[in-house]
Amino acid sequence: NDVSKKYKAALEYYEQEEYYRASQLLDQVTDLMAGTEEAEKAQFFRAKAHFLQGNYILSDTYFRNFYTTYPRSPYAEEAMFLQAQSLYEQSPSYEEDQKPTITAIEAYEEFLVRYPTSERAERANKVLEELYTKLDRKDFNQARLYYKLRYWRSAAVALDVFLQEHASSPFAEEAAFLRLDAQYRFAQESVPDKQEERYDVALDYFQAFVDTYPESRYKREAERVFDGVQTALAAIRKTKQPNS
Amino acid sequence: SQVLNRPAQPSPIDYQQPRQYRIGEIKVSGYKFLDPIALTSLTGLKEGDMITVPGEDVSRAIQNLWDQGILGDVDVTARTEGEVIYLTFNLTERPRLSNFRFSGINKSQAETLRDKVTLQKGRIVTDAVLNSTRNVVREYYVDKSYLNVKVNITQRPDSILPNSVVLNIHVDKGDKVKVGDIEFVGNEAFKDKKLQRQLKNTKEKRFYKLFTSSKFNRTKFEEDKEALITFYNSQGYRDATIVSDSVYRISEDRLGIRITVDEGQQYFYRDIVWTGNYLYDDDYLARVLGISKGDVYDQVELEKRLTYNPAGIDVSALYQNDGYLFSSITPVEMRVEGDSIDLEMRVQEGPQATINKILISGNDKTSDHVILREIRTLPGQKYSRDDLIRTRNELAALGYFDPETIGLNPIPNPADGTVDIAYSVTERPNDQISLSGGWGGPIGAVGTVGLSLNNFSTRKMLDLSEWKPIPTGDGQRLSLNVQANGKAYQSYSFSFTEPWLGGRKPNSLSVSLFKTIYRRDPRIYNPYIEVDDVNELSRLNVDGAAISLGRRLNWPDNYFYMNHSLSYNRYTLKDYGLFSIVQDGKMTTFDNGVSNSISIVNTLGRSSIDNPTFPRRGSTFSLSMNLTPPYSLFSDRKDNFEYIEFNKWMFDASYFINVAGNLVFNTRAHFGFVGTYGSGEVGPFERFKLGGSGLGGGNIFVGTEYIGLRGYDDESVINSNNDRQLLQAGGIAYNKFVFEARQLISPNPAATIYGLAFVEAGNNFGSYKDYNPFKLYRSAGVGARIFMAAFGLLGFDYAWRLDDLPGGMNDKRGMFHFIIGQQIR
Repeated sequence: NDVSKKYKAALEYYEQEEYYRASQLLDQVTDLMAGTEEAEKAQFFRAKAHFLQGNYILSDTYFRNFYTTYPRSPYAEEAMFLQAQSLYEQSPSYEEDQKPTITAIEAYEEFLVRYPTSERAERANKVLEELYTKLDRKDFNQARLYYKLRYWRSAAVALDVFLQEHASSPFAEEAAFLRLDAQYRFAQESVPDKQEERYDVALDYFQAFVDTYPESRYKREAERVFDGVQTALAAIRKTKQPNS
Repeated sequence: SQVLNRPAQPSPIDYQQPRQYRIGEIKVSGYKFLDPIALTSLTGLKEGDMITVPGEDVSRAIQNLWDQGILGDVDVTARTEGEVIYLTFNLTERPRLSNFRFSGINKSQAETLRDKVTLQKGRIVTDAVLNSTRNVVREYYVDKSYLNVKVNITQRPDSILPNSVVLNIHVDKGDKVKVGDIEFVGNEAFKDKKLQRQLKNTKEKRFYKLFTSSKFNRTKFEEDKEALITFYNSQGYRDATIVSDSVYRISEDRLGIRITVDEGQQYFYRDIVWTGNYLYDDDYLARVLGISKGDVYDQVELEKRLTYNPAGIDVSALYQNDGYLFSSITPVEMRVEGDSIDLEMRVQEGPQATINKILISGNDKTSDHVILREIRTLPGQKYSRDDLIRTRNELAALGYFDPETIGLNPIPNPADGTVDIAYSVTERPNDQISLSGGWGGPIGAVGTVGLSLNNFSTRKMLDLSEWKPIPTGDGQRLSLNVQANGKAYQSYSFSFTEPWLGGRKPNSLSVSLFKTIYRRDPRIYNPYIEVDDVNELSRLNVDGAAISLGRRLNWPDNYFYMNHSLSYNRYTLKDYGLFSIVQDGKMTTFDNGVSNSISIVNTLGRSSIDNPTFPRRGSTFSLSMNLTPPYSLFSDRKDNFEYIEFNKWMFDASYFINVAGNLVFNTRAHFGFVGTYGSGEVGPFERFKLGGSGLGGGNIFVGTEYIGLRGYDDESVINSNNDRQLLQAGGIAYNKFVFEARQLISPNPAATIYGLAFVEAGNNFGSYKDYNPFKLYRSAGVGARIFMAAFGLLGFDYAWRLDDLPGGMNDKRGMFHFIIGQQIR
């Protein structure tokens, strides 16, 4: 009859990599096939045909429906992985709201819990790292903006928060140097009363920086900042001495 | 004995201990019309699968079957043989819905209800489905005041489809029931009329109350009762209660409401003492609170003065603006004697909160840094509520987000005395595309293609994946506009603005270019005229370029800004009678030649409005001076045309105040003056034309300032005795005053709508000798505006002229004006 004819044609189109036509036909017949033996396969191919065309919003829904309805299907693992990938494809640039990125991360992590030994696990882990790095980059960029705007106090605070939250991020080294530099400039601009205390914080930041990144590419500049801090502190303490 | 010795057969499944089984067989029983194989596969289980019992596998299978919506009941029985389990799904089929129809109501209501009810064809019909349908229909009519509505649903088998039913939903609306009478019992301090006014959504039906709804709505009535008590409390009746209320039938279509109140006694403030305050002394706090001994005890007002007073400063703002986010003020009634109440204000100042982190969400298009750089709450600073509110205004002013849904959410971390601030935004489309064709008066048919992108990103232009459909998010503005009707008229313009040049400071840079060609083609008027060479037609070309720099200032306060721009315009005329005016007995004309205008515009302004589309509070003012070099001071000039010389001063001020709810008053004043440096005549350029909608419908090629004055024809207002030439040339000094009352009707960001009523007055003068700021032409009227993201602001006004123009066409007094775009003046 009509349904099985269309389904057959859809599979042929799919084989010939004509995914648009395949998905059009599958959209028509999949719901009508509910309950037949072929329904499982039809649903999976419909999801995949949309995925391969780049319709990630649709493929996300169809893959998810598929693996909740047929969790034991031989396609279930692939469906779950491709659902995560559909979300990954929707993850926007790091400068925009990252809600889709977080959803994608959750999907990959769920995949790894369900199929820890899958041959796709390696790829999933790689993507996860990429997505986490994207989130790191976003936070780092926001903190660094204050540095660019020359709001030194805000830069020092924001970079400090960044380092507390992402100590092992690939951006931590640059953040640690910028935190030191921002704190130094912040102290320079401060009223004399507050300077000593703020230079001391800069010293702590320098210490932390050289301890964590002894071979940093920012080493030279950091040392220059350190010299500046020392000179400034020496001057402050000298003016204090005659009074005591 | 068998009963006593149960289980006679060992229970197949031990529900205490989940066990793994292999499925030996899956059976389906109880089916009549459905296919058993299809049903088996829908369970998601297969013979040979390993499942855990008890476990989620079987319950998911049942859920899967349920989800199809085609079964009345599903349960499972199981039999085990060692490791193997045999499952039987016992189904009950129910008739499925094949169609439904309404009777007793008209077609359009049936259409509306069809969308409201959740009936789905192909799904089974259960009591729950019938009940919810009945409720939806009932509520729909009750809401329309048909309190006596009866809904009757009947089923009958479908004659064509097996196992299917058709539903008929019969509605008997009955009469509309309205509130006929509201009476109060036990009220002595206030009259019934006064109390009735407090019930905002429950009103009596009266023939003269044309626009008042007198529907009865139970939930709204309950809210109104609370409002009544709030009203009593606000008048010092702290103990007022509603003893009872009854809603009864007066007649078939009228309800009566009787509310019995116990007013209690009226209370007054006596002594107010402050405790726990170290930062501010008692006197100061008392002054900010603004309540003194003997005032009526009003808890609502007290709460407002303590926590949030939109009209001015409140006590908690004192603390919150200085970082004391964790502060609290609790008024405690210490003594109640007779009608006097002593209050103790318990202040807990707490530590100052420092801002730690700024979180942004909802920006699906706009880059973080574009938002973050506008945010006034900076990490490391003390928390301040004012900064938060200011930030909301700044974000609204960007125009990328829906101003009504900008979220500000401080998340305090009392453990370390810091606060994170989460901002949430909703992007709204703000690119405008115009594609239009129209009749442009003397020019004939004109086609326009326009594109203005208000959140463009040149940085992302090289990244192909960002073209969806255009790279956005960096807050740059780009606009392109082409207008043409073939050879006779062509106009091209381009402009680009970077709001944060260099990314470090909010200094904006704009560049714009334009070119206009206009040939006065006689064939428009007489198609039989032969024209050999279009270049021989009389024509006017205008070419120009401008570059401008804008800066935000921190002094006198940080609402100030300054703008500098340099512009060059060149006008090329051939037999084009642009300007002719007789002044002081001398005829000045300009028909042929090239005219150059180089000028510098400096603008100083201040803007503190809270929302660009519908401002509720705040003000704007700007003073701009537009100067050309003073050629006449250095050389003897024979005319003012080759190098145009003028100085032009413009002043605009606008003030918004939120009077009540969504009602806003706007007062504006505008002035403009053009002059020369020497004693020479003011040239044809940069003059003022006053009247109408101010859109500049006529000669749009020459630098002319068009200013609206509703109630008068476009460009018709000039203070002269019917001097046609002066009217055509334009005035050199104008002033205009406007008062507008605006009422927001729909705050929906896709289409913000407001209505307005205005009175305005203005005049335009041809020479400084005549200038008199008090001699004004007045008008009044009403209108409406709609702001749509894709089109900008559109509107119309109906205005009534109150004065006669000297020598003008003074026959009709009322006229319509169509308004396009946001107008400053």
